[in-house]
Parts: sequence; C-alpha cells; structure tokens
Amino acid sequence: MTNPAVTVRGLTKVFSLPFRRCRLIAVRDLNLEVARGQVYGLLGPNGSGKSTTLKIILGLVSPTKGKTQIFGRDSRELGSRTAVGFLPENPYFYKYLTGEETLLFFGKLSGLHGRGLQARTNELLALVRLEEARHRRLGGYSKGMLQRIGLAQALLPEPKLVVLDEPTAGVDPEGSREIRDLILDLKSRGITVLLSSHLLTQVQEICDHVSILSHGVIVREGRVENLLTIENQTELVLENATPEILAEIRGLLERSGTCLVEQRQPKTSLEQLFLEATRAKPSG
Amino acid sequence: MQHPSFSPFRVAALAGNTFTGLVRLKVFYFLLLFALLLIGSSLFFARLSFQAEFQILKDVSLGAMNIFSSLLAIVATAQLIPRDLEERTIYPILAKPVARSEYLIGKLLGMLLLLALGILAMTALFLGLLFFREQILLGETTRSGLPPAQIAAAIASLKTSAFNLNLLPGILLIYLKAALLASLTLFVSTFASSNVFTSVTMVFVYFIGHLQATARTYWLQGHSSGWLAHTFLGLVALVFPDLQPFNLIDDVVAGTAIPLALFAKAAALGCVYTSVYLFFAWAAFHEREL
Repeated sequence: MTNPAVTVRGLTKVFSLPFRRCRLIAVRDLNLEVARGQVYGLLGPNGSGKSTTLKIILGLVSPTKGKTQIFGRDSRELGSRTAVGFLPENPYFYKYLTGEETLLFFGKLSGLHGRGLQARTNELLALVRLEEARHRRLGGYSKGMLQRIGLAQALLPEPKLVVLDEPTAGVDPEGSREIRDLILDLKSRGITVLLSSHLLTQVQEICDHVSILSHGVIVREGRVENLLTIENQTELVLENATPEILAEIRGLLERSGTCLVEQRQPKTSLEQLFLEATRAKPSG
Repeated sequence: MQHPSFSPFRVAALAGNTFTGLVRLKVFYFLLLFALLLIGSSLFFARLSFQAEFQILKDVSLGAMNIFSSLLAIVATAQLIPRDLEERTIYPILAKPVARSEYLIGKLLGMLLLLALGILAMTALFLGLLFFREQILLGETTRSGLPPAQIAAAIASLKTSAFNLNLLPGILLIYLKAALLASLTLFVSTFASSNVFTSVTMVFVYFIGHLQATARTYWLQGHSSGWLAHTFLGLVALVFPDLQPFNLIDDVVAGTAIPLALFAKAAALGCVYTSVYLFFAWAAFHEREL
C-alpha cells in the first residue's frame, strides 16, 4: 500500500509565553491526510494555525503531541524532506545573492552539484521567466520576481510534494495567475501540492480538497465541489433569452410550485476583467 | 532512500554562502583602517632608531590585528543567526534536508574563513610594510659611508630587528583566539534575544577572559586549593574562556621565540574551546522553535 503524501495525526501544538505566564494553543488535535497527486488547500484566517501546521510538517517546529509524516516517514527525520519543495509565505531569501546564485545555493543543499545543478538552474530560471534577471541581486527583485525565484528553488530537487505558504500573497493578478497555472502544471505532472491561503477564489479554482481551520481546529473538510454544492438548488445559465421566454419559465416554475430564489445576469470576475484590460496593448 | 545526516557538501555550501554574505556586507572595510593605522604609525615613528621603529610597528600591527580580528569575530558572528531568524531566511534552508548541526557548522566555518582571509590580508600588509621599511633602511645604511665592518654589523642588527619567524606563531594564536570568540558568540546568539545583547555579553566575556587567569592565581594563593575550589574555577574557565594564554604578543614583539610547549598548549586550548562552544551552540539550537 502506498503511503499518503502527508499524514497528520492528533497534532497539537502549544506555545509557552513565559513573560505572560500563559500558553497559546496554536493547533488542537488536528487530523488530515493529503493523497498523492492532490492539490490540498489549508484555509483559515490569520492565526488559525495554518503556518504552524505547515512548519510542523516540514520539521521546522516540533509538535507538542501527535505526529506528522511525509510519504510515510516521520517529519522529524531529515530524509523525509528530500522530495519536498517549500515556498515560504514571504520570499525569505538572501538579498545579497543573485537569482542564479540563490538557485545554485539551494540546489547544493538539496544534494545537486556540478553540471546537473547548473542545467537544472538554467531550466528553472527559464520556467519562471527570470533568465534575464539571473545576474541581478535579489535585493533589486520585485515581489512577484521573488515569489517566482522562490518557486524555482522549491522545484529544484524535482519534488514529489510541494508545500506553498500563501503563494500569491502580495503578488499582482498577472503573477497570481502565473502561479496558479504553475500549480495546475505541477498537478498534471502528478506532484502533490499542499498550500495555505486565504484567497478563497483562487483556492476554489485550483484545489481538489480543502480544510478550513479556525482557532487551531478543522471546522470543515472535504472535496471542494462537495463542500460548495448546494444540494437542493439548480443553476441555469441562458444565453440570448428573450423576456417572453423568461416569463414563460417563471410561469412554469410557479405552476409547478418551484421557488425561484434569484434571477440575475452573470458577471465576470474582477480578476478576469483586470487581466483582459491589462493584457490588451494600447492602440496608437 | 537513506539520507546522510551529515554532508560536507551541504556544510561547504552553507559556509560559502555565509562567507559571501559577509564579504558583500563589506566587512573587509576594516582592512583599510588597519592599513591607514600601520602607514600612519610607520611615518610617525620613522624618526626613531630603527630598532624602536620596528618594535613599535610590530607592536601596533599585532595589537591592531588582535583587536580587529576579535571585534570582527564578535560583531559579525553575533548577527549571523539572529538575522536569519529575523528575516526568516532560515526557513527555506532548514526545510531542505539540512540538519541544524550542518547549519551551525556551516555558519562557523564561513566566519572562520573570513577571519583567516582577514588575518592573512593584515599579515600581508604588515609584512609588506616591514619589508619596505627594512629595504629603505638597508639602502640608507649601505650609503652611509661608514667603514665596511660597521655597515655589516648594522645590516645584521637591522635584519634581526625586522622580520623573524617567531611572528608567525603569534599571528596563528591571534587567529585561534578569534576563532574561539566566534564560536562562543555563535553559542550566545543561539539563545540571545538581540545582536546587541550578544555583542555586549561578548565584550564582558572578553574582559573576564583576560582577567580570570590573574584572579585565579590570586584566589588560589589566598584560599585553600581543594577540589571544590578547583572545580569551581574549572567551571568559570569553561563559561568564560581563559584568553591569557593567547596573549603572547609582547614576547613576539620582543623577538623572543614562543616555547613550543606553550604554543601547543594555547593552540590546543583554542581548538578545544572552539569545539566545546560549537557543541553548546548545537545543544541550545537543535530543539529551538523557529
């Protein structure tokens, strides 16, 4: 039997606050399982325990109780992270390194070296479209560029699991869309993605499965389509429907005793509108 | 797949990155100050007899090397881990299969490499100036018109006063002292709340380290020297390193050879202290919440 990509069992994390003489329960008896090849979203407001959970999974923080596993290996084992790529919430990299040096550095930490490392670095710089900025120091990168170099370093070891903490935080809609496409590309290649976010629309677009955390506890969990479907309602979208046809449909509904909850014209999303407007080249 | 819990390649990558970071932070600017100090003192004392001039040049140079390398070891190491924690650059590193021991060793080795290059550069500046002044004085002596026997005696005396091999163990001890201070600073920074706290603590440790040998001798003379006193003093010597054995500059400047046993003892002490503090750093850091 193959192990799930991530397993969390009975996870509790308590932080002691010695100066205030109190304790903070960040995560309380959390259970979750991320299947291989899935895009799994951890949702929740700030302080709900998302980042702490991810840090425990990555072995950066030790649990007070319970255990976490990556592909069946305890997260505290060094070897559990060999096939894992991680993009932290904000791009935390050395500003004095250039884009290329950053990838070479993280590549060496991932066990790559020599020509293989150089080839992988070139490949990833091309993938995240930073070839021209490869010799620029990260101190001069924009937020979107930093996020892209962060993604590139996460993909260096050809991971089987990618953990993304707020991958689109502070990125413009264009960059955000690129990251979304990249996540979908990872999924198509069978790579498991575990991400945390509070950008709900985006999560809805890309995640197969979500857990919603509040005060360190999972309050909702399941497949996205199951969670969002309102079982007793049906939506019809009509194109070029005349007022007469609409009146006829309403009449039919009234006669059959069906309640019409809402009638409205569908709207595009603000993100879609923004992308269409900014992609169009100015005339003249 | 079995993953090695310690890899020299990962440590080398971390050390190289630490070194690059420090170099790009322009910490080597202190060398400029060192060069100015040397040239200034050389010009100022050129009016004295050549023996006095060389003596002062060696004194100033080795003293400045000692101070600069100790300061660099403390100030630069104090910010290595706190900065990584504050800017959270530590997350993507430790999220890779990198052990915390590798991270600490890499940081220390990067710092030791920087100190080695700094001391090498200062040594080159110092010996270069010494050689330059020696050549000028040799030329002046040769052209002085004195009888050949007197010139030969003056040249021999000049050569003995300038460079001698005894300088090199003295410089090595300065490096080992800086390495010890870097390792202790790394340990303090693993639990300190700020860079300032680490630096201030280290300045205290530096002074206590220099004074404790004298205090110990005095104390043992005035009190019973039973096992309890020895244990207590041993503990003090562990917490505050005994820096006195590294202070052989006066002997070196005077041209006295450092006895091999004394040098070996100081060198061994430096290596043991550096390793013990690195172990303490790991003990404090390996379970720390990030």
